[in-house]
Amino acid sequence: MYTKGSKVNSLITRKSTSLFKSNIRQYIIVLAIVIVSSLICYSIKDVIGYRSVSFALLFLVSILAIFFGTGPILLAATLCAIIWDFFFIPPHFALHIENPEDVLMLVMFFTIALLNGVLTSRIISQEKEARIREERTHALYQLTKDLSINSGYDEVTKVVVANVSKFFRLDIAIILKNDQNQLNNWIQPHSSLKLTEEDIKVANWAFEHSEKTGKYTDSNTVNSYTYYPLLGISANMGMMIVKHNSDPKETEEQFWEAFLSQISGKYEREFLLDVTKKIYLLSESEKLYKTLFNSISHELRIPVTTIMGASDTLINQNYPDEIRKKLYSEINIATIRLNRLIENLLNMSRLESGRITPHPDWYDVHDIVNSAIESLNQELQPFKLYVTIQPDIPLVHLDFGLTEQILHNLLLNATQYSPIGSDIRLEIFFNNGFLKIQVMDSGKGFPESELHFVFEKFYRGKDSKAGGTGLGLSIVKGFVEAQKGKIIAENLLDGGAKFIIDLPTEILDMNSYRKTDD
Amino acid sequence: MANADKILIIDDEVQIRRLLEITLSANGYKISEAATGKEGLMLAASIQPVLIILDLGLPDSDGIEILIKLRGWYNKPIIVLSVRNSEEDIVKALDNGANDYLTKPFRTGELLARIRVAIRQDENLLSKPILEFGSLTIDISNHIARKDNEIIKLTSTEFSLLALLAKNEGRVLTHQFILKEVWGINYVEQTQYLRVFIAQLRKKIEEDPSKPKLLITESGIGYRFGD
Repeated sequence: MYTKGSKVNSLITRKSTSLFKSNIRQYIIVLAIVIVSSLICYSIKDVIGYRSVSFALLFLVSILAIFFGTGPILLAATLCAIIWDFFFIPPHFALHIENPEDVLMLVMFFTIALLNGVLTSRIISQEKEARIREERTHALYQLTKDLSINSGYDEVTKVVVANVSKFFRLDIAIILKNDQNQLNNWIQPHSSLKLTEEDIKVANWAFEHSEKTGKYTDSNTVNSYTYYPLLGISANMGMMIVKHNSDPKETEEQFWEAFLSQISGKYEREFLLDVTKKIYLLSESEKLYKTLFNSISHELRIPVTTIMGASDTLINQNYPDEIRKKLYSEINIATIRLNRLIENLLNMSRLESGRITPHPDWYDVHDIVNSAIESLNQELQPFKLYVTIQPDIPLVHLDFGLTEQILHNLLLNATQYSPIGSDIRLEIFFNNGFLKIQVMDSGKGFPESELHFVFEKFYRGKDSKAGGTGLGLSIVKGFVEAQKGKIIAENLLDGGAKFIIDLPTEILDMNSYRKTDD
Repeated sequence: MANADKILIIDDEVQIRRLLEITLSANGYKISEAATGKEGLMLAASIQPVLIILDLGLPDSDGIEILIKLRGWYNKPIIVLSVRNSEEDIVKALDNGANDYLTKPFRTGELLARIRVAIRQDENLLSKPILEFGSLTIDISNHIARKDNEIIKLTSTEFSLLALLAKNEGRVLTHQFILKEVWGINYVEQTQYLRVFIAQLRKKIEEDPSKPKLLITESGIGYRFGD
């Protein structure tokens, strides 16, 4: 890959130096070759005759035409004609020609040398140009391909920097615009060029004016870099800052601009995609807000109504103790429900705002399980709970609160969907870097078509009992993912739902510590 | 209760103060109330309560500051009652001298139990050399623990840990505090030691180690010796 790129690059460079701008060095080389060849011919002219020398020189000019540009060939042809006339055609050492045949010969020699040289040189240059065009098409194709398979600003920048370096051997930095149509004050990661504050100011100026500036342009020419605006179809997407090692060739300009426009176009597409995504998220959160509002207002009103009604009755009426007790119990249940709702909402908002930072420490799995079960003492009472923890399970490195809440919510969920008196099973073991938690209930499970919705906010199963907001499982998922774990929901073969959680954790074998005790 | 125990409540919420006043009075305590930290500090000095219930979200100052100021001279139990329920907040309050911590909403039954434990523990501070918890007895001075009159084999670290928790019966001790007391200041981050030794102790002293009744875990905060 890389060697191919460097070949292309060297080709581009040679083209601009050898075919169009034949420099003085080439004239000198041609001059030297002509003189040396003439000297050789002079030494053997008696053997081959002076007319054969003209063919030898003609041959030489043709050969030179393959390697040198028009200018040097013109020089070679003229020089050879003069040398042949002066040194070889009698009388020697004079431009004067005695024989009219030789005059004709000289004219023909000059014309053929000239035509031959110029034509050869043109064919070769055309052929080289065609090859360069092909290489450039390939380069552009490569860039387009690389751009099309990558997405995200960082990845795109990586591809751009790599391609510019491959085909132009240039270091670049890219600064993109932000949502407010201003240039960011930071350089995109993966840029290969480091900029100073001053450079960024210049970039800002160029961005505002949407024109290129810096070295080798019409403005800010003292700057050491060149600044190109990344002009998309609808807007200026940012700036590309380039460190040119030499004056960029005019012939390369089109190629460069094609490159730039591909790059600008890609950034523009990325930008538009981002905008679309944001709009989508906004409408989603609007939807979320509405659902939340409907669900929560219902969930809040029911227990509040209960408390209000029951307490009102208790204050104003004189009922027998038995009824009063029932009313107290209703108030109690309503407050538990309210409290659970508040906890869920607080947890959800912590998750949504990304304020969940796990604080892992070493914990005994038994402790986490006990805490979760303890907090659900009453709810679990009507069920048969089977807890299986791997014997000799090592210490795990997890966030206690988050993990406890995961278990709490899953067990609570199980109590809500299983018939009274049925089995709820909790299994925990360590397997291959993960703490595996499995909770199985004896409910009806999930309809197959809804299996992948169960962790969605406000999802509620068809047979849900009254109460509950559909937040519990999505909080579980949030807390699992906050600890870089995974959760899936399945249906058991004999009915019932099964949740499988994998939490990545380090472990410590407890037995290794016992030895350290005195 | 001939001389009713005086309890000071420092909380800015009228409804909470009212609830506590009703509940605690009904249980034989004498209640004083303060709505601000400043008022609370003044009352604490003048009435010398046997226990203070302190809210952390006070209008005039942070509850932790009041806690620290109180601990400057007040050595009787302080129970913190707060809506702040993060492990961080709880550990901070306990490390700054709170004897116990209850988050709002709380069950009054739970609060009453904690108050009783705190007061009893305070009275027992000049503790007896032998502590008894059902079938378990711990002879602090002779470093011997017995269960059903049989000596339990404990290593010296295990015994220190058990003694520390038992002496502070009913009180939540934070991980850091326990590690510092039993293993030393350099071990306060080594929670794994604590887990291993608590697990070992449970196997030796609990009736059912999987459902501990004596060495109780306080979620992410520490341990409490239950009764």
